[in-house]
Amino acid sequence: MRVFVTGLGVVSPLALGARATMVGLMQGKSAFGPLTLFDTSDQRTHLAAEVSGVTVADVAPATHRATWSRTDAMAVVAAREALAEARIDPRRDEVHVAFGGTTGGMFETEQLLAGMVRDPSRREPHALMLSHPLSATSDRLQSAVGPFPRARTLCSACSGGANAILLGADWIRSGKSARVLAGGADGLCRLTFTGFNALGAVAPDRCKPFDRHRAGLGLGEGAAFLLLESEDSVRARGAVPLAELSGWAVGSEAHHITNPEEAGATAAALIARALERGGVALSELDYVNAHGTGTPLNDAMESRALRRALGAEIGRVAVSSCKGQIGHTLGAAGAIEAAMTVLSIAQGELPPTGGLEEPDPECDLVHVMREGRRAEVRAAISNSFGFGGTDTVLLFTRPGLVTRPARSGTASDEGRRPRVVVTGAATFGALGLLGSRGSLRYVEPGAPPSGEPLRFEAKEHFDLARARRMDRASRLLTMAMQTALGETEGARPDTAEIGAIAGSAYGNVEASAEFVQRIYEKGGRLASPMAFPNLVPSSPVGHAAIYLGVRGPVLATLDLGVTGEAAIALACDLIEAREAPAMLAGSVEEQSGITEHVLGPVCAGSSHWAGVRSEGAAAILLEDEAYAARRGATPICRVDHHASGRGGFARGAAALPAPTRPALVVLARRDEATLGALAETPWRGVPVVDVAGRAGHHEGLGALAFAAAVGVLGDGRAEQVLVLGLAPDRWVTLVLVRP
Amino acid sequence: MDRVALRTQIKELIIRELNLEGKTPAELDDDAPLFGAGLGLDSLDALQLAMAIEERFQVTLPEGDEVRPIFASVGAIADFVARSKPLATATG
Repeated sequence: MRVFVTGLGVVSPLALGARATMVGLMQGKSAFGPLTLFDTSDQRTHLAAEVSGVTVADVAPATHRATWSRTDAMAVVAAREALAEARIDPRRDEVHVAFGGTTGGMFETEQLLAGMVRDPSRREPHALMLSHPLSATSDRLQSAVGPFPRARTLCSACSGGANAILLGADWIRSGKSARVLAGGADGLCRLTFTGFNALGAVAPDRCKPFDRHRAGLGLGEGAAFLLLESEDSVRARGAVPLAELSGWAVGSEAHHITNPEEAGATAAALIARALERGGVALSELDYVNAHGTGTPLNDAMESRALRRALGAEIGRVAVSSCKGQIGHTLGAAGAIEAAMTVLSIAQGELPPTGGLEEPDPECDLVHVMREGRRAEVRAAISNSFGFGGTDTVLLFTRPGLVTRPARSGTASDEGRRPRVVVTGAATFGALGLLGSRGSLRYVEPGAPPSGEPLRFEAKEHFDLARARRMDRASRLLTMAMQTALGETEGARPDTAEIGAIAGSAYGNVEASAEFVQRIYEKGGRLASPMAFPNLVPSSPVGHAAIYLGVRGPVLATLDLGVTGEAAIALACDLIEAREAPAMLAGSVEEQSGITEHVLGPVCAGSSHWAGVRSEGAAAILLEDEAYAARRGATPICRVDHHASGRGGFARGAAALPAPTRPALVVLARRDEATLGALAETPWRGVPVVDVAGRAGHHEGLGALAFAAAVGVLGDGRAEQVLVLGLAPDRWVTLVLVRP
Repeated sequence: MDRVALRTQIKELIIRELNLEGKTPAELDDDAPLFGAGLGLDSLDALQLAMAIEERFQVTLPEGDEVRPIFASVGAIADFVARSKPLATATG
């Protein structure tokens, strides 16, 4: 199924509106000015590109003004514009949401967080903390713009918005969605402003991508959504698409947590892959909307990658970066820039690289300088690169340009959607570091956990020299992932071919709180550069990918009480869409007073969870059945069904296949709501076990339940297992069967 | 504080701030290059070290290329700290 763009919505520091933003870009306007949101007097730099004209008070419903973030407000305005342009009403035509971000409600909550570090008695359920998790923005979209029966929140640092678009495209191409509102949003906050300053990554004055005198990025903020629509949906309603999203590719550099690979090999390979998958010849590519941050390392790397991927065409294809005018908008950047790339095709306009005066010989490209220019654009790519090295390339084409079938994911391909099997699983929790058979113990009777923090000797599990940047969460996750990898039979999978996903409901909240507390106490100059890259929710999986050499898609997902189950469902989606032949998927949650006393109760309703709060990590090795067979691995079980959704469970219940053989239900936690939901399904009457009794509670527990379910099937205790994750307003179902 | 004590303090700071688990101050050479080969430190480590030295010894390091000679070795860092402040207050 082909994917078209039928609507755009943008909130940028230049303007409200996708087209208004393009007008400003074409005129060469800069949105940079002295930052007004917070004090920057103790920072190295004081400029930023702020959004004006969107306030929480204007956008949020009157009853919710105290619990929305600026990020939420910007996202809602951009989402409404995209739907309006496409003339889609989500109440009439089903729309799904894929959202990427990095900071969510950090700006609104950082002062509270700092106070909670100074004084633990302040760790109380403040309503404003509802806006803290990245998934809060997806929730606001749901209530203010939706309903959206399927929604997924992603984080891959600065490529998050692009990866949300990529996921939306995967859903449409594999026939799971007809329309997806996909994009990202990020508001400025002290944490990111100070962190990028501490890294010395921010230009002291003007941001000048590709310039000989470039000295760093400039930070911005904003939001953007693309309304992606299947070819069938476009045809059925006679819509006129702006562009086709004809190819895309995502992969990880597995190189360094902040620095890009110097030679740009990963980025070059992904550009080539996106073009190949889209069936577009290099001679048809007319424009590259570059990541172009303005840092010395990025722009040199990206230029090398383009030279490598484009060959002789490098002398013809125009390249520009929006970041010299609107700044680096982090999780929103990939989405805003994708929207501008679509407009370059739809309007025949090439925006300039703001700030570029004297091109660096190292960045020898066909630049667009000072003002935009008109040009026919047949095909264009948008590049996005993130901390930890997740690189994403989106390829847009003029509708009708691509007539030949794309290489993969074509109509004939859909009938052969890969079947997903499980070849390994591991958990690190109250019972220790265990493979899938060992994890089976979580469903057996036994004592509840002590609630003590998990202990391990790092030197027994890691090459310490390579692991020294890894914080505790990264280590817990990596230990589970390498144990899952070690469990599989046959030739060890080549980690360079596989991807990784980790769920983490609130990201690294304790370290984020300590980081901002230090800013308040000691000033921005003494912020820790090393701590900063570990604060983004995709950091644990990024570190794990670097340590294990994972080079496929590397993402984090956040979904409150069903975060663990959601990570596994997302991995299945990516394998079925052929983004990777195998994925390590799981979750990591650390004990945290802020999570236990504030975020859990406010956001996930954890005060209703009976029992001990704990911490832990789990990882599952999921594979395309054909890939596992090729390397001689015997699957432990197969994923027979997976689905996830928002709102009531009725859809989940209706879609769930009935058990036909001896079956078991494995739950993270056994509560009234989940048991009630089960009673509405064909699985009513099937025996139910849970893992929380022995593992304790946390938001990522669903991944541990899944690992235990793999153990149940491996041990032959059941032929079919349902893992059901249910939390307020969201659910995930996963059915596993013995081969 | 004497030179040896200052150098040991700097080594302890390097081990702690850059997470050189398992290393002891005695294993770090006073005059060996810190960056590139040897300990395998990179630009992110340099930033962290600069912040930690400024905080611990109440000094201000230059930015950009000027910091390179100061970061050449533990000894060079100690010399800079000693030059920047009277030794009597450097323990603060």
